[in-house]
Amino acid sequence: MARRKAMLIDIKRCIGCLSCETACKQLHGFSTDPEPTLSDTAFTVVETRGDKFVRKVCMHCEDPACASACPVGAIGKSALGPVLYNADKCIGCRYCMIACPYSVPRYQWTKVAPYVKKCDLCSERIRAGGQPACTEACPSQASVFGNRDELIAEAWNRIRADSSYVPHIYGLEEAGGGCVLFVSDVPFEKLGFKAAPTGNQPMPTLTASALGDSPKVVIMGGTILSALYWVTQRRREVALAEAEEKAIINRIKGERS
Amino acid sequence: MLARIKSEITLWRVIVAIIFITGMYATYLRFLVGFRASTNLSDQMPWGLWVGLGTLCGIGLSAAGFGISAAVYLLGMERYRPILRASILISFLGYMTVCVGYLYEIGLPWRFWHPIVMWNHTSVLFDVCVCIMTYTAVLTFEFAPAVIEKLPWKRFRETVLQYHHKILIGVVLAGVLLSSMHQSYLGGLYLIARGKVHPLWYSQYMHAMFYLSAIPAGLALTVMAIYLSMRSLNVRVDFGILSDCGRMIQLLLIVFAFFKVLDLAANQAWGYAFQRTSEAGYFWLEMMLLLAIPIFLLSYERVRSNPERLYWTCAIVVAGFMVNRLNVSINSLQAAMGTHYVPKWTELASSVLVIAAGVMAFRYAVIYLDILPKSIPKPLSRWISNGGLPAQA
Repeated sequence: MARRKAMLIDIKRCIGCLSCETACKQLHGFSTDPEPTLSDTAFTVVETRGDKFVRKVCMHCEDPACASACPVGAIGKSALGPVLYNADKCIGCRYCMIACPYSVPRYQWTKVAPYVKKCDLCSERIRAGGQPACTEACPSQASVFGNRDELIAEAWNRIRADSSYVPHIYGLEEAGGGCVLFVSDVPFEKLGFKAAPTGNQPMPTLTASALGDSPKVVIMGGTILSALYWVTQRRREVALAEAEEKAIINRIKGERS
Repeated sequence: MLARIKSEITLWRVIVAIIFITGMYATYLRFLVGFRASTNLSDQMPWGLWVGLGTLCGIGLSAAGFGISAAVYLLGMERYRPILRASILISFLGYMTVCVGYLYEIGLPWRFWHPIVMWNHTSVLFDVCVCIMTYTAVLTFEFAPAVIEKLPWKRFRETVLQYHHKILIGVVLAGVLLSSMHQSYLGGLYLIARGKVHPLWYSQYMHAMFYLSAIPAGLALTVMAIYLSMRSLNVRVDFGILSDCGRMIQLLLIVFAFFKVLDLAANQAWGYAFQRTSEAGYFWLEMMLLLAIPIFLLSYERVRSNPERLYWTCAIVVAGFMVNRLNVSINSLQAAMGTHYVPKWTELASSVLVIAAGVMAFRYAVIYLDILPKSIPKPLSRWISNGGLPAQA
């Protein structure tokens, strides 16, 4: 956990200049035209909510729903924090898109060989000691990058120092928390942030109990079915033996008479 | 000559031709042009008709195979043996259509084998994949004797069938467990989508709901298929067996209804059923078709013992079941995902193509193999073993 990196997004400081969006698109070689929502060529977008600007981006969960859902394990949490997608494993089932509580993963619908696309927190750059393109481009320090522990402390400092902030860090505990943290001077629910469906529990807990029951069900079901089969067989044997007995008795009777 | 060609053209042949031409065109669009050209799927609705109809309905309606084989092999309900092979065949073909549909659904179909070697045990979909693959193998094994007994090599036939018989019970038992697992895991797929699935369908016991609803629906489809075989393929089955199936379907539907009512109450979701939303409408459509109407109709002896009436009642069950699966996979997600999804015609055409291929395979299997007892021996009698009598499975 000590090495975990994170991104802190301050909605109060954001001026809506779209520098982060453009920098991201330039880095990935996409056309820099702004897009209304996340897409396979927009891994982060700035949405306007009233007079506020809200960045949408992968939350890089600590216990990601997408990673737990992927049937081939193509998505995983890396030590530095980014949730990474391995295109070589992906089969394109799109279950990650169903599972993600923030509906972040996007798909290349127009391609003949389509892949899932989402923010990787510029994993290559941060492994080399740098920072993501979006935080580097931010002129107002609204998006900053750093160690997760330090950024959490920084977020609380801002909340404590300025009473206009909502006393909540969105993304710190939602669905088990993640590496993208939001602070805001407008209540989060007014900005379109949804309460995580599991509260502070990681999403994979939703399936854990159903999957955890299966060995018990299999063992119990197998035992019961075997027992029933044994009873069926036994009854059949008894019926056969009785019929044979009857036949022998009848034959003896026939011989006597 | 022209007159002869004309006489060959019947309504059903024209329909089949249309299905195959449109289906092949849709297949071309899917594999050589892409999802955008062949579907209305989007980032807001990543799973559509192929998953809802192809996989969820396909697997669910193929549930009779494990139900009937458990009844006959494990519980000794010999009464159902005459329809055992037919139900296994329906399941086998149903799973085949799902396996083919899987290639349409995944974006990179040439990687279909990845789940076999790349495991992720926390994924419900991984468990579904592995269970379906294994169970398809089980169904192939259970169905194999019908083909093997037609082979001309006597020694080979006898040896194989002898070994087959020795391990059959074990395989049947494994099949029942595998089926129970993935029938329920198909519902379990949506457990992680809490907050997206509408409360009328979301429950922490979604997997159990899927399991309970699949068995009566699978039985209903089997009754329909056997009725149609009796009508058009010279098959003679004691109708009393199908009547009993009707009774069984009713019982299973009552069990499902009981748990559905309880489940909605436990989730405090009944309020949503009386809101003026499209979800509530779809919910009541499902409740009427899948539960209320069939349970009511099947309580009448007049319905159960009349082939035509039983057939149509089973058709209502199957329709209601399909509404249920499409509700869960499509209608329940639309509001939360902020989208309105209507499948493109190509999605429907390719699904219908795959299903039609399964139906045709069923028809030819019933004609040329000993699936169901027949009244008149069909041609190709040299292929029929055991003196023309339907062999025991």
